[in-house]
Amino acid sequence: MQLPQHTRNFILEAGELSRFTGRFFRESVKPRYEVNEFINQCFIVGYKSLPLVGLTGFIMGLVLTMQLRPSLIDYGVESELPAMVGISIVREIGPVITALIFAGKIGSSIGAELGSMKVTEQIDAMEVSGTNPFKYLVVTRVMATTLMLPILVLLGDAISLYGAYLGVNIKATTSFHLYYTQVFDNLSFGDVIPAFVKSFFFGFAIGVVGCFKGYNSSKGTEGVGRSANSAVVVASLMVFILDLIAVQVTDLFGLN
Amino acid sequence: MEETVISIRNLHKSFGNNVVLKGFNLDLKRGENLAVLGKSGSGKSVLIKCIIGLLAPDGGTINVLGQSIPDLSQDELDRTRVRIGFLFQSNALYDSMTVKENLEFPMRRHWLSADEKKAEEKIAEALENVGLLHTLNMMPVELSGGMRKRIALARTLILKPDIILYDEPTTGLDPITAREISTLMNNIQKKYNTSSIIISHDMNCIKITADRIIILMNGRAYAEGTYDELVASADPEVKQFFD
Ligand SMILES: Nc1ncnc2c1ncn2[C@@H]1O[C@H](COP(=O)(O)OP(=O)(O)OP(=O)(O)O)[C@@H](O)[C@H]1O
Ligand SMILES: [Mg+2]
Repeated sequence: MQLPQHTRNFILEAGELSRFTGRFFRESVKPRYEVNEFINQCFIVGYKSLPLVGLTGFIMGLVLTMQLRPSLIDYGVESELPAMVGISIVREIGPVITALIFAGKIGSSIGAELGSMKVTEQIDAMEVSGTNPFKYLVVTRVMATTLMLPILVLLGDAISLYGAYLGVNIKATTSFHLYYTQVFDNLSFGDVIPAFVKSFFFGFAIGVVGCFKGYNSSKGTEGVGRSANSAVVVASLMVFILDLIAVQVTDLFGLN
Repeated sequence: MEETVISIRNLHKSFGNNVVLKGFNLDLKRGENLAVLGKSGSGKSVLIKCIIGLLAPDGGTINVLGQSIPDLSQDELDRTRVRIGFLFQSNALYDSMTVKENLEFPMRRHWLSADEKKAEEKIAEALENVGLLHTLNMMPVELSGGMRKRIALARTLILKPDIILYDEPTTGLDPITAREISTLMNNIQKKYNTSSIIISHDMNCIKITADRIIILMNGRAYAEGTYDELVASADPEVKQFFD
């Protein structure tokens, strides 16, 4: 049986990506741990995306509140506004929006950076300088994205909730204290933990896809551009797929 | 007796259906500058990447400084690589690091810079050799093509290698800068008594630097001799390189 070309390419690529992921796990446990480079990457990855995550989070919180209010008024449950916004932000909007921003910002920059390192032989140069480039470049970056995204999500959530507070206050006055009490009274561990856990997976997927695309970049500047671009596309898609899996899993554990 | 530092026998390398090297032989003597001449795509870069262990050959033997490169463990390979400098075709300077950090990298990574002071002296010496001491804190993007090549050369020199592999050291440079780089390569060879393989298709560079030339064609060593011998050759395949 002959599969169509693009289906075959897709399957081949998926296989390559799994091999790459497997290699990540093998190499990450072998010593010479690149601790300095890991810390450096955490800083770069976290710092670079912080302003964007903050801004989008703030706007999402504000807009979401303003959009929800009319419907809640229709049902006469306007007082539930903080609770509803809180749950939407913490469970879904915070992690997913932050991850998408992160994929756009960090996934593409990792793809472009490693891609250009590949085509200008910097990766080969590392190897002849007594450095395992996979450990030095890939393992550190993937670990950094895995660790930093959940932290960014927490920050994003907080900023988003603040945006939502301002949104609540546009039409009515609520004290900050009352608002936060209402939000957190309605949040349980069952809301927070799955969202937090899935952000690790999002971060991991974004790091792996960015590195994979960059590391396997084809020759020429065009190849680098393509790596950066497809890193964002694939990583964003992965975020949605993982989100879909996450909701099934939380359902299975009765946390929905 | 002259000592052989690199000895390659019957080297084979293919990528899928693309047979690049098929039975290539080469010997490099200590202190010698050997040029490998060949058309674009003939497998020159593949050849020296096999020598330094970046590519694994499909068959044949590669002996460098008494070690069989394809059989070495990662640690042994790293130890041997300390003694081999590699000048990459595209320089391969780390874009995210300053010139100083670029030069530090090989020392730091090979665990050779125990003493901070000594490391700085070595960096200064290497930069001095290529006449670019003032670029110490610049980023690679701020440098011209010729300067980048020199910095890359300084980085290969920093570990005082016994052997230097040059991958097209003058390609993409203007004739004047190319000549400067060629002269620099000669000076380095005299100063540190290195042996080198120079991959090139720049006849001026080869004329200045090479003691002996091997022409790589169809995956084999097609012809061999000094510059004068090959210039005088009647073989049209050889002649085409010298026109
Ligand atoms: N990693 C690789 N994977 C697949 N094919 C490769 C790889 N490296 C080189 N090749 C192929 O091997 C052949 C020789 O390439 P190589 O880079 O050695 O040429 P070259 O002689 O150095 O040419 P140039 O003067 O353009 O640098 C080319 O056909 C190239 O496509
Ligand atoms: Mg080449």
